[in-house]
Amino acid sequence: MTTTVPKDSKATRKRGIDAAPQSMKVLAVKILLLAIVDAVAVFAMTLLFFRGDWLVLGLVAVVTLLVNIVYLSPGLLPGKYLTPGLIFLAVFQVFVVVYSLYIAFTNYGDGHNSTKDDAISAIVLQNTQRVEGSPAYRVQVVEGPGGLGLLATSPEGEVLVGTQQQPLQPADPASVTLEGDRAVAVAGWTSLAQQDVLQRQQEVAALQVPLSDDLSDGFLRTTDARNAFVFQSVFVYDETAGTMTDTTTGTVYSDLGNGQFETADGDVLGTGWQIVVGPENFLYPLENPRFGGALFGVALWTFAFAILSVGLSFFLGLFLALTLNDPRMRSRKVYRVLAILPYAFPSFLSALVWLGLLNTEFGFINEVLFGSANIPWLTDPWLAKLSVVLVNVWLGFPYMFLVCMGALQSIPEEVTEAATVDGANAWQTFSGIKLPLLLVSTAPLLISSFAFNFNNFNTTYMLTRGGPRMEGVTENVGHTDLLITLVYKTAFEGGNRDYGLAAALSIIIFIIVAVVSAISFRQTRALEDLH
Amino acid sequence: MKQSSLMKVAGVGALALALAACSGGGGTTPAPSQSESAAPQGGGELVIWMDQNRADALEDVVATFQEETGTAVEVVVQDFESIDDNLTTQAPSGEGPDVIVGAHDWIGKLAQNGVIAPVELGDAAGDFQEIAVDAMTFEGSTYGVPVSIENIALVRNTDLAPEAPATWDELVSTGQAAVDAGSAQFPLLVGIDPNNADPYHLYPLQASFGGPVFGMNEDGSYNADDLQLGNEGNVAFAQALAEWSAAGIINPNISQDIAKEQFASGASPYTITGPWNLSTFQDAGVDYAVSEIPSAGGEPATPFVGVQGFMVSAYANNPIVASQFLTEYIAGEEAQTAIYETGQRAPALTSAFEAAQSNEDVAAFGEVGAAGVPMPNIPEMGLLWEDWGVAEGQIIAQQGDPAAIWTAMADKIQSSLDG
Amino acid sequence: MSIDISETLAVERGSEPAPPVVRPRMSGRKWLREMGWRHLIGIAVVIFAAFPLVYVLSASLNPTGTLTGSNALFRSLSLENYVALFTDPNRPYAAWFANTMVIGLVTSVATVFLGALAAYAFSRLRFTGRRVGLLSLILVQMFPQLLAVVAIYLLLRGIGDVFPVLGLDSQIGIILVYLGGALGVNTYLMYGFFNTIPTSIDEAAKIDGAGHARIFFTIILRLVAPILAVVGLLSFIATTSEFVIASTLLSSNEKLTLAVGLFRLVSNETNTNYPVFAAGAVLAAIPVMALFLWLQKYIVGGLTAGAVK
Repeated sequence: MTTTVPKDSKATRKRGIDAAPQSMKVLAVKILLLAIVDAVAVFAMTLLFFRGDWLVLGLVAVVTLLVNIVYLSPGLLPGKYLTPGLIFLAVFQVFVVVYSLYIAFTNYGDGHNSTKDDAISAIVLQNTQRVEGSPAYRVQVVEGPGGLGLLATSPEGEVLVGTQQQPLQPADPASVTLEGDRAVAVAGWTSLAQQDVLQRQQEVAALQVPLSDDLSDGFLRTTDARNAFVFQSVFVYDETAGTMTDTTTGTVYSDLGNGQFETADGDVLGTGWQIVVGPENFLYPLENPRFGGALFGVALWTFAFAILSVGLSFFLGLFLALTLNDPRMRSRKVYRVLAILPYAFPSFLSALVWLGLLNTEFGFINEVLFGSANIPWLTDPWLAKLSVVLVNVWLGFPYMFLVCMGALQSIPEEVTEAATVDGANAWQTFSGIKLPLLLVSTAPLLISSFAFNFNNFNTTYMLTRGGPRMEGVTENVGHTDLLITLVYKTAFEGGNRDYGLAAALSIIIFIIVAVVSAISFRQTRALEDLH
Repeated sequence: MKQSSLMKVAGVGALALALAACSGGGGTTPAPSQSESAAPQGGGELVIWMDQNRADALEDVVATFQEETGTAVEVVVQDFESIDDNLTTQAPSGEGPDVIVGAHDWIGKLAQNGVIAPVELGDAAGDFQEIAVDAMTFEGSTYGVPVSIENIALVRNTDLAPEAPATWDELVSTGQAAVDAGSAQFPLLVGIDPNNADPYHLYPLQASFGGPVFGMNEDGSYNADDLQLGNEGNVAFAQALAEWSAAGIINPNISQDIAKEQFASGASPYTITGPWNLSTFQDAGVDYAVSEIPSAGGEPATPFVGVQGFMVSAYANNPIVASQFLTEYIAGEEAQTAIYETGQRAPALTSAFEAAQSNEDVAAFGEVGAAGVPMPNIPEMGLLWEDWGVAEGQIIAQQGDPAAIWTAMADKIQSSLDG
Repeated sequence: MSIDISETLAVERGSEPAPPVVRPRMSGRKWLREMGWRHLIGIAVVIFAAFPLVYVLSASLNPTGTLTGSNALFRSLSLENYVALFTDPNRPYAAWFANTMVIGLVTSVATVFLGALAAYAFSRLRFTGRRVGLLSLILVQMFPQLLAVVAIYLLLRGIGDVFPVLGLDSQIGIILVYLGGALGVNTYLMYGFFNTIPTSIDEAAKIDGAGHARIFFTIILRLVAPILAVVGLLSFIATTSEFVIASTLLSSNEKLTLAVGLFRLVSNETNTNYPVFAAGAVLAAIPVMALFLWLQKYIVGGLTAGAVK
């Protein structure tokens, strides 16, 4: 952390004379760093230029220019300190927010996974089926003036050749080269070697050679460039009308602007595509009163859970930081290291372990600590709430412990000393002076920790998955569900993953958390101003 | 990236070497096309997503494939469970894999999302166990080459229960007798989750009451418009489940892990489980035997059969090579046997399946599975699991009238299906 | 057992001023009243914190156990699982361990640096948008990350098209993603601490002719060492245990981090390997504890004591 500090910094600070050469050095370092940044940016811009990626190119250019201005102009001091962090923040965090916002207005999810073109080709491909009982041909990929074609040998030994435009015709047996009983070359066509086939495999895979002029007879297609079968397309896409026709039933499906092919009476093809649907996803809670009703109870518990988790782990952490801070305790280092153990373990592992510990019949807690009692820790509504909070406090208190240990260092010694001199006892010193000071410096962390726990998906989901389920409610809502697990269940678990809905609902949650937090921040500012 | 570009270089190098060897030996390939195909973009690199177990099993097969076809292969190891989600989100970008390994019940959803392409097995379809090909088929198209078949069955501790129980009552009475005699602690072990039960492990018992989940079409595929979950037989199962729970036969606190560990320690004469746990029982020195689950409700107690197979991405950059890899290598006996040997699941290829019958565990599980039905692979199946499990959990926890809970669950799923 | 300087310095800052000389002579009753309860609490907390993990340790020493239902602790003691960790070529545990350390250390050092720069600006400089800026930093990080994985995957794929070394399956790439979170709560934590350093120190240095960069690097950074240590540790822990992003971005077996690699041991469909997983997790916790042990003296050592006065 202090690698940039010259070894003799104490001496220089005292003398303060060699300031000029030092700033020359600083300037040199600055120019060098800027030069590297600019070089990388120019390199990226060149690549982007050749790819024709104008939007990104523009963004990179603007950012590079800004960075240069900030570091080369004499003023703009805050910019010099903030820019590096802000660039990372903008690229990796703000992008996620913007992306989620965009998705919230789309129907992205199962069945609406990609573009319309992709959906059309998927529907056609999936409904291209082998004609039952049709013969299997052995083929050689050939190329002629009309493009790629197939040289096919039927099971009876008949040799045919054709392309996408030109239906299969018998080849002159005299001009055919056979390898065993399979035709491998024919005059007037170039046979593609395996390596050439591999180079053009997208083309080969897309090649459909009609059996005859009548398309309904089907066409030859190969998936491995060695064998071909007769296929028929059940679904045909009409490009001019923009409709999809089921040739077996004659049903016509058209695009009615819902990101899918559908008939007027509501028959929908499973594979659709992604479109912008506007605010529809945000209206879901209003349009689904059952979901809206469940929201209220869950929201209450979410607040309770977040406040309890933060409060309990903070006080436990603070208490430990104070208790284990006495210099006369020789073993305090050992206690401290062991106390942060829960934080040092991968948390998904901890959740797995707790799941086992809390098992009603076999768990260590019931078996050993409660003498084989059958306490339903995770299946009784209230005990499940208690368990989730307990485990969350266990996971979270080491963080608070560390933070409090750090924050306690920031309280000037004079303050407590003065109080002690004035005759205040330890408790008075703590509650009257240390705690308020500590709260000022840790309040932002408590607020953000509140926000984290408000959206603490992992603990709840791994322990109870929101259960036990509330009785008398048709929606799948459980007693330990948080808003975020409810969103997850609603958007993903109903078998149909709906990213658009998930994004919209999580934005609604974000607004709730952000408003609560912003108000709390105002309060802490008032607190801060007191001092 | 450093590593994978190294791999690319190595791949291209191997390709060039192979070609050089080819032209040196036979001299049939004309020189110009040879240098062309050695260009970096030529032939491409077959990208396969699989889990670690199958990647280990197929190491030799992949090496043979690379050697014989000169195609470079990049195996990307993924968690088996996340392959379907990753394919769905990553394939449309064109940066996804060419080939994945997956479970057959993903197929409906993956096809709905347009990320997998049908693979025509041709006459080779007849070389596979029929149930395996059926399972890999969705709406008339076959999506990939099946490799293994798995299902659950009754595993008994032969010290505690020497004979396979002929009826459910016999299973319960032997189990109870073992508990009463103090030689066991549980009459039967079925691993479930306390809040969400486990519809998969409980399904054979449910099936014995005659209740399928969906009706069948004439061609043996599931009909999504015909939800059968709320039918009479299934409601009777709900009643029975409550009784078993009260009698201690089904215990909500026994998770999969606990069931495995308790059976391995000899705490119960019976468990309902799959071949994946057998190695634990062997290590623990338990003498066991595998047999069919006796019928509790009168009809055969048929388990769901799961099939795993290799599928081709609809966005594959190398569709021809991918298809060749599947139909000529994965469908071969070597690959099928290699996967069987690491995973103990019966191979899907009939010749390999028959060879594996020499292992009596595989034969016994296979016999039970032969009577089973494939787990539905229609996308609508996704709507069932959660509510179905939670309802079973509530019934086992005695939280109300079993028939009412079951019917409410079936109605809710029906209304979700109706949209 | 020797008392280092940091400990003696800490004495001055202790809440109950007691000269170290008294230590050996404290009477039994006084010791009980002043120190005994602290030990009791220390022991209680250690039990609370450690007992679930004793379970993991026990499982890691048992070649056949699972994580649930095995309440007889330490019924077998074998290092088999630990040996298995380092001998299986398909599970390059040593490589995962090294990757995690590199990613964790680079990320935490860079986070501390970026965070300290920003905190200095917010604490010492006055500019428009300072309050709003501080608030937005923290609000941005409250955004629910349900879709983060999809977004970050797309982003890195795009970056990887231009700079392959920063794209998917790249350790530098993942470090950059983690640095996206460098500002935020950490900045606040440091900001609070920076505010407690009297501005008179800056002014004195300015009179001596030092520029803002010199004041920051040579004076302020040393004074805020405790908070730098705390933030570094928090960031190291958060990075090394991060799972979701790492599992999406990293795919080659030899590039994984511990969290992802270990998870693969137990996510093999129904074929789970808990004992080896437990052994891996036990070893994974050691660096965090070692780092904490080393940083403790900066966090509570009161290195700043003399300077602030």
